[in-house]
Amino acid sequence: MEVIQVKNLSKNYGALQAVDRVSFAVPEGSVFGMLGPNGAGKTTTIECIIGLQKRSGGEVTVLGLDPAISRKELYGSIGVQLQETVYQDKAKVFELCQLFSSMYPDPLDYKLLLERFGLEAKTRTYLRNLSGGERQKVAIVLALIANPRLVVLDELTTGLDPQSRREMWAYIKELQAEGRTIFMTTHYMEEAAHLCDQVCIIDEGRIVALDTVDGVIENAGMDTMISFETQDEIGMVLEKLPGVNRVEQEHEQVRLYSQKEDVLTDLILLLREHAVEYRKINISRPGLEDAFLQLTGKEWKEKVS
Amino acid sequence: MNVFPKLTILEWKLHLRNPLTVFFALAFPVLMLFLFGTMYGNEPNEFMSGFGSVDVLVPGYICMIAAVTGLMALPLVLAEYREQKILKRFMATPIQPQDILLSQLIVNTLTTLVGIFLLLASGRVIYNLKFFGNVLEALAAFILILMAVFAIGLFIGGVTPNGRTAIVVSYVVYFPMLFLSGATMPLEIMPQSIINISKALPLTYGVTLLKGIWLGERLLDFPLEIGALVLVTVLFGGLAIRLFRWE
Repeated sequence: MEVIQVKNLSKNYGALQAVDRVSFAVPEGSVFGMLGPNGAGKTTTIECIIGLQKRSGGEVTVLGLDPAISRKELYGSIGVQLQETVYQDKAKVFELCQLFSSMYPDPLDYKLLLERFGLEAKTRTYLRNLSGGERQKVAIVLALIANPRLVVLDELTTGLDPQSRREMWAYIKELQAEGRTIFMTTHYMEEAAHLCDQVCIIDEGRIVALDTVDGVIENAGMDTMISFETQDEIGMVLEKLPGVNRVEQEHEQVRLYSQKEDVLTDLILLLREHAVEYRKINISRPGLEDAFLQLTGKEWKEKVS
Repeated sequence: MNVFPKLTILEWKLHLRNPLTVFFALAFPVLMLFLFGTMYGNEPNEFMSGFGSVDVLVPGYICMIAAVTGLMALPLVLAEYREQKILKRFMATPIQPQDILLSQLIVNTLTTLVGIFLLLASGRVIYNLKFFGNVLEALAAFILILMAVFAIGLFIGGVTPNGRTAIVVSYVVYFPMLFLSGATMPLEIMPQSIINISKALPLTYGVTLLKGIWLGERLLDFPLEIGALVLVTVLFGGLAIRLFRWE
């Protein structure tokens, strides 16, 4: 079953086309990641999906409801963490938890949630005295109190240190294991690669790739690079290997580019056949960053907004 | 699902955790009372048209308290909540962001009432504060004043982009009203130029109205003042409704 279905979603602010005919579907129980640079349209897409903004065109269905019509009904079964939201900083953690618990007919026990996120010692702490990571955990706890089937996380880990970020990843995996569907946006390619069953790369309001992480990388048509060092002059020989697109040799350093999976075997056999001595063999597969560069022509930057 | 009372109670707690609000709404008016009460006492004197100084000053202080909550506390919180996207976050819950607005109005009204209670109690106990008017009419005047300052506060809080701008705008609106409307110092002792300025300040009409009723005049003796307060409420309230930005 699809938890989110988006068909030709468009949103424009006057002449500015923030989101341009975006379509995708998020199956129940999956983690769906939306990637893109600042201003690509990620937050606008999220806000149209959860009904915080009116879409200019297209169709959106979330848990069988149209968020433009059944906004309030929807909020009973989704949990959201919005980008850059800070809660009332003079409130204590448990006070906000109690308020959110009173909003839903069948809330999860916030004490258990705080415990689960390692916040039990912070129950009576003012929000302004929490670290960035702790605040984000509180944001998740508040999103989870509704016991939501769909959790929407807009740049949850932006600005967190690497350790807190990895901690968040573990929590997101846990939420998925509980059967919840996660819709997230992120700035971090490695985060998407680690968590997402499907990613959607968006640039200037348009989808440039929509696939599994491996699928995106594969379809971007980039070469795997194998490099090694040798004193022999063998560039010419290597070019004849089947599936090799390009060979570069600079002094001792040889680099070979191919999209063929088993080119490494062929390479080793060939080197042995010619009795070539080699060392420091290294394979680098293209990552999501490279795919992004290939697809958008833009350098990926981990900007902290 | 008694969420609205919970929200309002939490907002009131947060409100009272703001030392500036607590000081200016609850402590400052009482301190002013002590200061001028000590200087002038509350014996009837000719300078105050035969009334005691405290009796004449207290209605102005009541207006001052309403101005603190309506013109300072209210817009600041609304602008901050918008800046920090708290209003937007609450839009994505089963409660309405309008509920926050409403709870803010309730909370600021409560604080105003507590401030007035402290002021009247200390005035009564220490200076034998007297009231010469009609209680219901005074209440009506108070409601008119509160609605006018809250309308201005909603407008400021609704359109300023962030908390810092809201503070600056509130101060620019609040402090002239504090000193030039008769709320803290009687207009009777002011030169004509200040009195002319005071006519442009909405609070002046509130002070004149409440002071008049306090000292025994009737509500309907003040059509100009009532008209001015209603006009301010309708004008700024209308603008606030039209221009209020949730994000």
